[in-house]
Amino acid sequence: MLVKTLMRMNITYYHRLLIRSISSKPAWDILTGICIERLPVVTPPLTEMQKKYKEFLLTVEFEKSMKSNHEIQHENDKKQAELFKAESQDVDIDAVNKVTAQDFEDAANEEYSKFKFGNLETDADKKGDKTSTERCLQRHLVLVTQRKLGNDSKTLLPQGHWQEGETLRQTAERIVKEQIGSELQIKFISNAPCGFYKYKYPSEMNGKVGAKIFFYYANYKSGNPTKSKVNWLTRKELDEMLPQKYSNAVKEFLIEETY
Amino acid sequence: MSILRQFSRLSICPTVKFQLNRNISTTSALTFKITEQLWAEPMKKKKKIDPAIVKAREERRRKKIEKQIRRLEKNARQLKPIDELEVPLHLMDSLKKYKRPPVQLSVEEIEARELLQKEWARYKRDEYMNNIAQVDRIMAAQRRALDRLYEESEDLYNEAIMPDLQLLPYTISGPVATPPIKDYESPDGEYIDVSKKWDN
Repeated sequence: MLVKTLMRMNITYYHRLLIRSISSKPAWDILTGICIERLPVVTPPLTEMQKKYKEFLLTVEFEKSMKSNHEIQHENDKKQAELFKAESQDVDIDAVNKVTAQDFEDAANEEYSKFKFGNLETDADKKGDKTSTERCLQRHLVLVTQRKLGNDSKTLLPQGHWQEGETLRQTAERIVKEQIGSELQIKFISNAPCGFYKYKYPSEMNGKVGAKIFFYYANYKSGNPTKSKVNWLTRKELDEMLPQKYSNAVKEFLIEETY
Repeated sequence: MSILRQFSRLSICPTVKFQLNRNISTTSALTFKITEQLWAEPMKKKKKIDPAIVKAREERRRKKIEKQIRRLEKNARQLKPIDELEVPLHLMDSLKKYKRPPVQLSVEEIEARELLQKEWARYKRDEYMNNIAQVDRIMAAQRRALDRLYEESEDLYNEAIMPDLQLLPYTISGPVATPPIKDYESPDGEYIDVSKKWDN
């Protein structure tokens, strides 16, 4: 039994070695791509179903609730006002003159209507400015840069070559500093790459057949890019702007938006 | 004998020595003996106590302890009152006043509500299945990336699967219901501290 398992282990080990020796024959460039995502700031809009159910829960809660002091006071006020009209002798003069519940409610409503909530449509949204993180507050945004590949420039995630002696995570951190600037504060989520994409060069370059890109995922925290122009794109825009196959590889590890 | 010797050592003219020199005998010259020192008083006679009194004393002591135990047990059953957990009496009295009139729902309304709840359950299930599928997809993408990395270099793979020690502590806030207002100064409210003081 033991010998058997040992043999099996040996076999799998050599199998792996074999795979590696075969696959490493054509040399590939190792690249690290960084997917920097700004998470939504504001909760997404409720769907039709969610709105309906919320309404339902609120009515049920109201039906089960007790009356509040405010409601009791409002009822008392009404009673007193009627007595006052009827010129009854039971009128409590003190109760009539003081601020009624209705007055309080009106004042509160007025204050509420004066308060201005932050606008969902920010300045960047109005101008169509894609370089700011202050846009599309309800959506996930991914940072992309323009890169020159050969003759034409393409919209890609920031990426760069792995250097000997680094781990891929270190490569990712270095590239962010080099290409985007060290003022951008981000948080890497893992030491492991979250996605993979490979493509072949049109012709062999420095003896390399193509490039294998390992994507790292990071969350945006604060700061602005200083070294290069970047765009923050929503999922839809990503789909349109990135090269098709590349986009598919990126979409593979991103959370899908349902609205 | 020994004492005399010691004293003679201190005196100017040693008397004992002279005597010893004059007499020739095998025994000691001085034939009186000093009794050994006792350093103690003779033992007192034990007082005899009436056994009835002893019994009574014991009884009294036992009763005292029993009383203490009883007192402790009585207190153990009665918990220390916590003000916050007790419903104030004036609220208990006015409970009727605060009750809403019971709602009479029509049959259609009840039916509609039940249907809505069923529909909600289905909706949530779909949402859940969708979430699970997404997590699976993302995990598969990572697995694939790691496999490709292993093919490329085992060292890089081993580095990649190390736990990320910088990740923790991890804090995240949001999303919120309305967008934050820039440079918003929250108005000063009145703060009334109603917490009780337990100084004495």
